[in-house]
Amino acid sequence: MTSAPLSRARARARFLQDRVQRVRRRPIGVFARLNALEEEVQEQRQLNRRLAELTDVVAELLVPLAHRDEEWTREAVERYRVDL
Amino acid sequence: MSSLTSPRAVGAVVSDAGITLLGSIDGPLVLSVDGRYVWSFSPVRDGRPTRAGTLVEWPSVLRRFLHGSARVRVSDVVGERVLVDEEVVLGDGRGTIEIVDPQGLPLAVDKVGHLCRAFSATDEGIRDEILAGTRRAIDDLREACGVEAYLNYGALLGAVRDGAMIAHDSDTDICYLSRQASPAELMLESYRIERGLRGRGWNVLRMSGGDVKLLLPLSDGRQCHIDVFVAFHVDGTFYQLGNRSGRLPESAIVPFSTITLHGHEFPAPADPEAMLAFVYGPGWRVPDPSFAYADPVAGVRRLDGWLRGFRTDMGRWTEFYRWAEAGRVGRPGSAFARWVHRQLPRGAAIADLGAGTGRDAVHFARHGRPVLAYEFSRAARGTIRRRVAHQDLPVDVRMLLLNELRTVLAAGAELSRDPHHLYARQLLGCLDDAARANLWLLCRMALRGGGRLFLEFSALGPVAGPEPVADPGPAGLVQRLDPELVRREIEAAGGRIDLEELGPGVDMLGDPDPIVCRLRVAWPRPTHRERNPR
Repeated sequence: MTSAPLSRARARARFLQDRVQRVRRRPIGVFARLNALEEEVQEQRQLNRRLAELTDVVAELLVPLAHRDEEWTREAVERYRVDL
Repeated sequence: MSSLTSPRAVGAVVSDAGITLLGSIDGPLVLSVDGRYVWSFSPVRDGRPTRAGTLVEWPSVLRRFLHGSARVRVSDVVGERVLVDEEVVLGDGRGTIEIVDPQGLPLAVDKVGHLCRAFSATDEGIRDEILAGTRRAIDDLREACGVEAYLNYGALLGAVRDGAMIAHDSDTDICYLSRQASPAELMLESYRIERGLRGRGWNVLRMSGGDVKLLLPLSDGRQCHIDVFVAFHVDGTFYQLGNRSGRLPESAIVPFSTITLHGHEFPAPADPEAMLAFVYGPGWRVPDPSFAYADPVAGVRRLDGWLRGFRTDMGRWTEFYRWAEAGRVGRPGSAFARWVHRQLPRGAAIADLGAGTGRDAVHFARHGRPVLAYEFSRAARGTIRRRVAHQDLPVDVRMLLLNELRTVLAAGAELSRDPHHLYARQLLGCLDDAARANLWLLCRMALRGGGRLFLEFSALGPVAGPEPVADPGPAGLVQRLDPELVRREIEAAGGRIDLEELGPGVDMLGDPDPIVCRLRVAWPRPTHRERNPR
C-alpha cells in the first residue's frame, strides 16, 4: 500500500517530468518536422519530372508499339533513344 | 566604375593559397596571367581575414593549373590601379603556368565558377559566327519549335550598356516565355523543343527539364555554347532559368523590342532595362566582371525540385574524365571482367552499364562479344568511341542517365528486344536511391527473357582493424553499399541472386579495396499467377 500524499506526489512528479520532456522535445520536434516537410514537398515537386518523362515515352512510343509493326517499332525506339 | 578605397598603399601577394590583399578594398578586381584575363573577384564577398590581410582563395577549378611560373597581374577593372604585377612561382614550380584546355585554348573562370573561353580571347570573325549562330537558333526555335525567343543575360547586357559583347562573357543566352501551366507541361514542351532543334541539325545537350545547351561549331575548331532557357510564371512569380525568380510582369517581356549587337539584330524583351534589373539587380549599369548571382533560396529550391536531379554529378564526372585522374583507370580489362567472361557462352552479347573509360567494354569486344557500352558522362562516351574506332571493335556506345526515366525506359525497351547480359562494375556506388531503383527496373525489362546481371561494388562489411574502411575512389563520387540492402532491393524488384561473393578487390582507380561484393542475378519471368493475380 502507498499513502495518498505519496501517491499524489509521485503522480505530480510524473506529470512534471512529462511536461519537461514535452517542452524539451518541442523545439527539436518543430525543426525536425519542418525539415521533413521540406523534404516531402521537394519529393512532390520531383513528381513533375517523373510525370513529364513518362508522358513523353507514352506519347512518342505507344503509337508505334500499338501498331505491332516490328520494323516501325524498332525504328521508333531507336529514333527515340537517339533524340534523347 | 570600380571603386578602390585604400587607407594606405594597397598591394597584394600571390601564393599557393590565393591572393592576399594587404589593405582595404571594396571593388571588384581582375586577375590576368601572362597578359590574359583569367578571373575576377570581389575581396569583400570572396575573401576572408587572415593575419597578413584579406585572403581570396584560388577557385578550385584553377588549382590544377597552378604549377610553374607566370606573370600574374591583379588590378581594378579598368586597369588603372595595379595591386601586383610580377613573376610568381606556384605549386611544384616546374615549367610554365598555362591555363588552357586540352586543345591549348585559353580558359577563364565565369560568373558561376566554371572554366570557359571568354570573348576577349575571341577574334571579330569568330564573334560574328557566334552572333549569327545565336540568331539562327532564335529563328529555328520559332520555325521548328513554335516558341518565340529573346536575347538575354550577358549578350543583352552588353548590347544595352555598350552596344557590344561583354569582354569576359563566355557564351550567349536566349530565353523563351512558356505558356504552359505546370512544370510537367513545360518540360514536355522542352522535350519537343529539343527534338525540333535536333531536326534542324543542332547538337543539343540537356541541362535540366527547362534548358538545353546548343553546341555551335566555330571555324577555328572550337565550340560555342548557346543556352536556351525557359521562362514562366507560376502563381505570380516569374521564373527564368538558370535560377532567377521574383517579380517581373509579362509586359516587360512581350511584345518584343529589337536590339542590335555588332550589326546583328535580335528580338529583346519589351523593356530590356527592367529585365536587366531583374537579372543583375539595380546596379546593372556599372560593369562588374566579378558579378555573381544572389538568387532567392526558395526559388532555387523550387526549380531544383521541379526541373533538376538527373545530372547532379555530371560536372564532377566530366572533370574526372577530361583531366588527368581518369588516366589512373587501368587500360586492360579488370579482374571482374575476366571473371564474368569465363561464365558466359562464347560470343554472347553483353551490355556494360556505366562503361566509364570503356576498359571492360573493350575487353569483352576483343574476346569476340558484341558490346553495348552505356555511359552517363558525355566526356567518357567520347573517350570510348575514340578507343573502339581506333581498334575497330564491335562496341556501340550509348547514353544512359539512370536518374532520367526516359533513357532508362528506352534502353529497357531495346534490350528487351535485343537480349544482352548486363554488366556493371563500380556503378552501384555512384548512384542514389532513385537511380538504383531505375537500374533494377532496367534489369527487369532487359533480363526477363533470359540472361544475367553481373555486379561488382565496394561493400560495407566486417573488416578487421580499428579504422573504418575508407570510401573507394574517385573520392566523393563513389560510396560503399550494404550488400544486404542491395539484396533486398533486387529481390523487391523481382530479381534472384544466384551467386554472391565478398572479398578483397580494387576500386575504379585500381587502388586496393578490402571488401568488394560480386553478384550474379537473374530476373525470372513472372509466373501466370503473378501476371494475373485474380
